[in-house]
Amino acid sequence: MTTQAFLLSAWNVAPFVAAGLAILVYLAANRFKPGKRFAIFMLGIVIFLAALASPLDALAQGYLFSAHMLEHMLLLMVVPLLWMLSLTPQSKETASRRGIMAGMEKIGLFPALNWAAGVGAMWLWHVPALCNAATVSGPVRTFQVISLLLLGFAFWWPINGPRLDQRLVPWTGMLYLITACFTCILLGIWITFSPVAICSAFNVPVDRYGIMPLIRNQWNLSATTDQQIGGLIMWVPSCLIYLGGTLSLLARWSKMSNPTSAASLLETNKNVGKNHG
Amino acid sequence: MSQTATAVVKTEGHSAENEHYHHGLWSWLATVDHKRIGLLYLGTALFFLLTGGIEALIIRTQLSRPNNNFVSPEVFNQLFTMHGTTMIFMVVMPTLIGFANYFVPLMIGARDMAYPRLNAMAFWFLPFGALLMNFSWLAGGAPSAGWFSYAPLSETPYSTSLGVDYWALGLFTMGIGSISTSINLIATIVAMRPPGMTMFRMPLFIWMTLTNSFLITLAMPILNASLVMLFVDRLFNAHFFLPTAGGSAVIWQHFFWAFGHPEVYILVLPAFGMISEVIPVFSRRPIFGYGTMVASVITIAVLSFGVWGHHMFAVGMGNAPDVFFSAATMLIAVPTGIKIFNWGATMWGGSIRLNTAMLFCIAFLIEFTLGGLSGITFAVTPIDWAMTDSYYVVAHFHYVIFGGTYFAIMAGIYYWFPKMTGKILSEKLGVWHFWATVIGFNMTFFVQHFLGFMGMPRRVYTYPDLPGWATLNQISTIGAYILGLSAFLLVWNVIMTSRSGKDAGNNPWNAWTLEWLTTSPPPEHNFDYIPPVHGRRPLWDLEHPELPDHPESINEPLVDPPIDKFKVGMACFIASESFFFLMLVISFVYYNYTLHMGHFNAHTLDRVKSGFFTVALLGSSVTLYIAEKYMEAKKNTGFLTWLIITIALGLVFLIGQGGEYIHLFITGVTLNTNLFSSSFFILTGFHGFHVFVGLILLIIVLIFGFVGDYKSGKGEIVKTIGCYWHFVDAVWIVVFSTVYLIGPSL
Repeated sequence: MTTQAFLLSAWNVAPFVAAGLAILVYLAANRFKPGKRFAIFMLGIVIFLAALASPLDALAQGYLFSAHMLEHMLLLMVVPLLWMLSLTPQSKETASRRGIMAGMEKIGLFPALNWAAGVGAMWLWHVPALCNAATVSGPVRTFQVISLLLLGFAFWWPINGPRLDQRLVPWTGMLYLITACFTCILLGIWITFSPVAICSAFNVPVDRYGIMPLIRNQWNLSATTDQQIGGLIMWVPSCLIYLGGTLSLLARWSKMSNPTSAASLLETNKNVGKNHG
Repeated sequence: MSQTATAVVKTEGHSAENEHYHHGLWSWLATVDHKRIGLLYLGTALFFLLTGGIEALIIRTQLSRPNNNFVSPEVFNQLFTMHGTTMIFMVVMPTLIGFANYFVPLMIGARDMAYPRLNAMAFWFLPFGALLMNFSWLAGGAPSAGWFSYAPLSETPYSTSLGVDYWALGLFTMGIGSISTSINLIATIVAMRPPGMTMFRMPLFIWMTLTNSFLITLAMPILNASLVMLFVDRLFNAHFFLPTAGGSAVIWQHFFWAFGHPEVYILVLPAFGMISEVIPVFSRRPIFGYGTMVASVITIAVLSFGVWGHHMFAVGMGNAPDVFFSAATMLIAVPTGIKIFNWGATMWGGSIRLNTAMLFCIAFLIEFTLGGLSGITFAVTPIDWAMTDSYYVVAHFHYVIFGGTYFAIMAGIYYWFPKMTGKILSEKLGVWHFWATVIGFNMTFFVQHFLGFMGMPRRVYTYPDLPGWATLNQISTIGAYILGLSAFLLVWNVIMTSRSGKDAGNNPWNAWTLEWLTTSPPPEHNFDYIPPVHGRRPLWDLEHPELPDHPESINEPLVDPPIDKFKVGMACFIASESFFFLMLVISFVYYNYTLHMGHFNAHTLDRVKSGFFTVALLGSSVTLYIAEKYMEAKKNTGFLTWLIITIALGLVFLIGQGGEYIHLFITGVTLNTNLFSSSFFILTGFHGFHVFVGLILLIIVLIFGFVGDYKSGKGEIVKTIGCYWHFVDAVWIVVFSTVYLIGPSL
């Protein structure tokens, strides 16, 4: 099989993806009006599909550890963040007391647990036994995908969650992200330089698509290189996501403590009020 | 306006007091005044600048013509090793730390550093560490394995003199000093700011020093842990980094550069801070892009921990790591470029005063950018392969550290010297000094780019007479002597100015930050009066009440939430210690989880017994918590009882560990038996040492408790020590899991 043929054929919309998508589109139709937040939400959907329905997913299912890692990052760190940013922020007073939102406010009670959820999702799913299980067994994999989305959602809650009162103050949030980044670097280093296979299931894949010769010979990816790339994806690009978060908090902090911008904000609001009046 | 007048009148009253607080050698040895400690740092740095400079001149003299034998190859190796180590650890770092010591409290309007005694202690680690290292010249030869002491060259079979031992000891000592002073700086900046000075109103020098202090706090322990392993290798015949006995030489490179790359930024970030102070004042414009300056410095700091692999392209890490490190390295150019543009934009349209300080800033911008550009070429792996270990590298990092940091420091000296001494450095001599430095620097190092292209290897004591090599090397050597002359001009300027310089007054440059409010030199207590801080330029606001930077903020309430400096200090200390232990845990994992050590390994250990002692140690955290609760409730007896139980439990743990060690010794497992035993003993041994220190602290608390010091229920110190104790217990959870639980299960 050629690369092109593989890229064209390996689209596989698994049932749970379709189901999840239907629910989310439903939610979107009900809660979102077309606008910035809706765009962010749809970006989340696109990345969600890229992770779970595209050839990346086919590769992640047993072929390439690095593809798995990319998918892991997207599902844990990018998709939940985007979906969270698409929610309308609420203060404690105005927060909905009914339904899902009322239950969700419990997510933000202990930020240390949220941190542990995000970091734990990184570490635990790369314990060799669990990593192998998720690679070879369908149900475990489904469970993994759902857990990544949920834990990622929990992780981002104290930073960008819709409940403004449950967000950490910026400098604590920065520490939250930088420490998470350090644990991520550490695990990335281990995976990159470890002489043993983290996820041995990727060493001898079941060749469903007949692309092994393609991967090994044309793409030049041996099992060792593949694991290294996986470790490096966790080490460098994922750290950049944390870094981006850190910088956005810095900007938030600067706005909070900078009287000029606060004042100009006030001024703008007044003008807006006048125009509307 | 009336406020300005009060400030001036009040500060002028102190010139008489200044007279009698400067006297005697003892007052300098015993000082805890941050300004004097700052000057001590700068004086020490100047001394070692001359030492390292002379070493450089000898190196250049040897290289002035082909096949020269002015010094022997052995001495040449010692010279370049000591030149690098001296310049980095005894000149640049102490200078930057010295300026931070002197100016951080002044710029944020504080009375002194958060912990003045710790400050004095931190300083004295520097001269003693430096002496220790330089003593090696007399003790059979200085270290000669280069400033990064690559294993196995640095190991006993290949470096037979005591040089590397002194190197490791000296660096370890100075490292403790740097960490202490950084923790102090962080606590000062976070907890000692006056009301109104929010984080985003701090001068940029403070931001850069803060970020830098975090880098030192976290990167230095990485070096220190590695030095411990190297030292154990050399002194006790272990073999962490000795491949012939199963160790790994490459892991030393990883360890060293995991420290070494952040170190590069440690050497340059405060210099960025200085430039960010000088350029606005002499361009008469506020800094352009304050927010992006802060964001970019944080970005640089975080990225610096992730890119060390670019020092190791030639090791053969594999294509994948090379590509990632290459990309990540280029990424660092973005925040650095933002800074360069911001400085340029600050000057754009300003009314620039071209005095010596500003000249050095402009030269900095040009030369640092050149160094940055050659740095980007090195990020390209194939270019690195071709150019590594050639003079192109030498040229590159001298453009960064000399063209960057040294020039920034010179700008800082000309800018702040009036504040430190009350005299303005001679501009006439200053301009001579500037041009001698620029010409000397570029002559010395620019040609080295070409020598590198031609293939001249660094660190080789001589070279054959190939076409062009002799000429270029001669240019370089002449340049080096001009540089030497320039340093002499600076010293001359300082001496002449101190004797008969122009009086500076409080604020000779019409600068805007708080240090210029007080007298020059400042009185021992720094300020009589701190004006309300409503913006980033408090002195501007004070002098131009009709035109304040932020008119809307003049009437805002000036309250900053009080932050406990003890908590900040302890948190930083714990972070630093965590990195130290992390390195020891990594080495245990590396040597035990992937290799099989033979007869003695993690299975040798008695999990059940250690489990028992673990329970005792963890229990002691609970009992200490209860003791603190009793203290808060002002029940002294209960507090003391639970404290005694805590100490007893700690002792049980130590005795248990001692018993385990004795058992292992009898079985024949000692520090150098194999990699398991070496990594086991240093990991658990250092933890045991921390428990021991914790016990001593708790016993001291107990004694004061008996005296009745904590009856009031206020015991910040008890809580601070409590944090340390809980931390030590938490470390043990990691150590126990790594060594006793997971290790034997693999």
